[in-house]
Amino acid sequence: MNFVQCNLGAGVRLHMCETDKFKSITCKMFIQQDLQSPTATSTALVPFLVRRGSQNFPSTLQIARELEYLYAADFSSDVLKIGERQILEFYFQMVDASLLPQGEQQLERGLRTFWDIATNPAGPGDAFIEDYFTQEKQSLKQELEGLVNEKRAYALFRSMALMCGEEPFGIYKYGDVDTLASLENRSVYHHFNSLWSQYPLDIFLVGTNLDVAANLFGQLVAKRGAIHKLKLPKRVQVPKSRFIEETTDMQQAIVVLGYRTNCSYLDEDYYALLVGNGILGGFPHSKLFMNVREKASLAYYVGSSIEGSKGLLTITAGINGDSRDQTLQIIQEQLDAIQQGDFSDEELEQTKRGLASAMTSMNDHPAGIIDRNLIGIVHEQMRTIDQVTEAIRQVQKEDVVRVMANVALDTTYVLRAPQQEGDSHGAD
Amino acid sequence: MFQEQLDNGLKVFILPKPQFLRTYAVLSTNYGSIDSQFQLPEQGFVEVPPGIAHFLEHKLFEEEEGNAFDRFAQWGASVNAFTSYTQTSYLFSTIEGWQEALSDLINLVNSPYLTTENVEKEKGIIEQELRMYEDHPDHRIHSVLLENLYHVNPVRIDIGGTVESVRAITVEELFNCYETFYQPGNMAMAVVGDVDSEETLGLIRQNYPTWQHRQGSIERLYPDEPAEVVNPWVEEELNISRPRYLLGFKHEPIWQGERLLRQQIVMSLVWRLVAGRSSQFFGDLYARNLVDDSFGASFNSSPQFAYSVVGSETDNPERLHEELRKIISQLQSSPPSSTDIDRLKRRIYGGHLASYDSFEYVANRLITHYFSQTPYYRFLDLVRDVTVDEIQVALNEQLDWKRSTVSVLRPVQT
Repeated sequence: MNFVQCNLGAGVRLHMCETDKFKSITCKMFIQQDLQSPTATSTALVPFLVRRGSQNFPSTLQIARELEYLYAADFSSDVLKIGERQILEFYFQMVDASLLPQGEQQLERGLRTFWDIATNPAGPGDAFIEDYFTQEKQSLKQELEGLVNEKRAYALFRSMALMCGEEPFGIYKYGDVDTLASLENRSVYHHFNSLWSQYPLDIFLVGTNLDVAANLFGQLVAKRGAIHKLKLPKRVQVPKSRFIEETTDMQQAIVVLGYRTNCSYLDEDYYALLVGNGILGGFPHSKLFMNVREKASLAYYVGSSIEGSKGLLTITAGINGDSRDQTLQIIQEQLDAIQQGDFSDEELEQTKRGLASAMTSMNDHPAGIIDRNLIGIVHEQMRTIDQVTEAIRQVQKEDVVRVMANVALDTTYVLRAPQQEGDSHGAD
Repeated sequence: MFQEQLDNGLKVFILPKPQFLRTYAVLSTNYGSIDSQFQLPEQGFVEVPPGIAHFLEHKLFEEEEGNAFDRFAQWGASVNAFTSYTQTSYLFSTIEGWQEALSDLINLVNSPYLTTENVEKEKGIIEQELRMYEDHPDHRIHSVLLENLYHVNPVRIDIGGTVESVRAITVEELFNCYETFYQPGNMAMAVVGDVDSEETLGLIRQNYPTWQHRQGSIERLYPDEPAEVVNPWVEEELNISRPRYLLGFKHEPIWQGERLLRQQIVMSLVWRLVAGRSSQFFGDLYARNLVDDSFGASFNSSPQFAYSVVGSETDNPERLHEELRKIISQLQSSPPSSTDIDRLKRRIYGGHLASYDSFEYVANRLITHYFSQTPYYRFLDLVRDVTVDEIQVALNEQLDWKRSTVSVLRPVQT
């Protein structure tokens, strides 16, 4: 399930995976830019605005009816963050042409609709429709203010904002409320057009009849001038680790530990880092799951993950506020154990298999086949699933110990309910 | 698709998917959180604490030596389980070693290892799971709704039970539930992947142990639910950014077999007309900030209960409620156009075709329809046959305001 690439113009790459394995055709388009203020908030408005209407389907209602007519075609748009890149995503999926009456025509109609929604918003030509703009500013504001609603996501958001406050990574993928208040219709529209003309664009297709799709995109993609050069994250050394506790009204307490790994996607030890993280907290057989949950009964969920572009390792657990110190101590012991090489060949082997299995499983999901390449396009080094699984297979115990030795705690963040009496700091 | 019932009563579905690399298998019992009253041979009818089906799901991963996760991990397989109102399911997905993982899954479900000590230990873990849900607004608003829609039907209690009910669960009760509901005649298995049907069936036959516990029909008791609701409007506060509104309609669970499947299709069309993005009403509600992108509706049904919900985050729950009354009343008095219905049917058709790429969805659907005895193979025929009149009847008979409850969550006043 590998992609064939071709260029459709300056900074525009088309990636095609021709396969009759699935009952649908899937297309995703990604536009990358550096994550920075204030453009992050402008970009975050785009997914909200495009779903309101295009030149040919000028309302949500008309878009929805067209998608239904196309046998449950699916359109969505969102903003993602990979390291210090902000990525604008457009997604389209529809039933494979071979399963529909007049399939090829339906496919072409679907892709034209997709392109129209993504690139051609309804409006007078130099701005979005004013009502849509006002309403979607409100929607994004509610989204940003609504971060507090999901406590686990909120704790992660707060911990990263605090830990990386001085770095672009500290910016939330949807920007911030203050910038949003200052945004004006025409300038966001201008920004939207520059995204389509001046930033790297990657179009991915998975399915059949891709020649039809490729020809169509060849016609639709406009000629472009110079493309912005983008940056990769800088390494940050941890002077001294911090402990931050915040309180809010909630039942559980959530701890988030943020570590700098000094290792990212382009480093030789990257796959050893993935394996080390897997042994620590990536699976139900991992040390964190076994010791924090199964042995000590402190949590329902506990685990760790890697942000591979920025090179961060994050541990999250939902616990009872009273068991904070005990939990933090057990977590520390697990990381210490890995750094000292205190893990079995079985743990290593299980983790390598688990990672390879998860990686290979992506071949069974069209969106998974596409999404796994995001980190590759950000770092301009795409790797096939075979290359990745082979790299994982090669990882030895000493590689894991070496790479995990560099994992340094930066910020311990705790979100919990205010204590019954006394404690009153940092409330919100 | 291949299906067969083994001599021990286990129903098996096998769906070969050429070219796919993953194998997915699920083993389910027709036993969920609402099955809290049932007959035991010596004691007659007993009632067990809420949350026990979910507790048992957690505990089956325990083994005398270590736990089951390790055995799946050696193949790189991922293993999991979930409990619903009516069903408990154990599943794995793997690239390598699917035959071994299949036998491990069967063993996991057939070798309970329950001790006073390991049952007590699990209570801390489940308490954290329940507390996590208590902080979750979608979960909270739904729980409050069902508590006020239903008087006695156990669907009104969270699947996981309460912290108190979980603390009360004993080893003996767990065994009683296990021995009653995990007999192969009450279970079904589905395997999806690039597998050979005969080989798969052979493996299941060969690995499925002889059942040593209770056998025969299971007598379950569900209390008689009155027609009216407990409370027509109920509010709670939670630490959230803006209010949420959820309206529920309690339906009489009168449909069985094909009629239930047909009703599911009809109700999904009804709710598309009310709350879909393609409905004529959405744009206005959205422009007035009465709904946002979370606006949606669903019909939830089984042979023991049926209810619908529709809701959204909103600036003004009272105003949204008034508008929904107007919208539903308008739909009740004027039939939907056949153009709208034909287009919505195209959507269902396309969605159905695409669904076969999702192993989890397909496998779980096969089992759920088997347990509720709904003939899913008739799905597309029924979609084609559903008439505008039927939709009109459902709109008028099922959306009965006298049998409705509104659950509102508001931000905590500080």
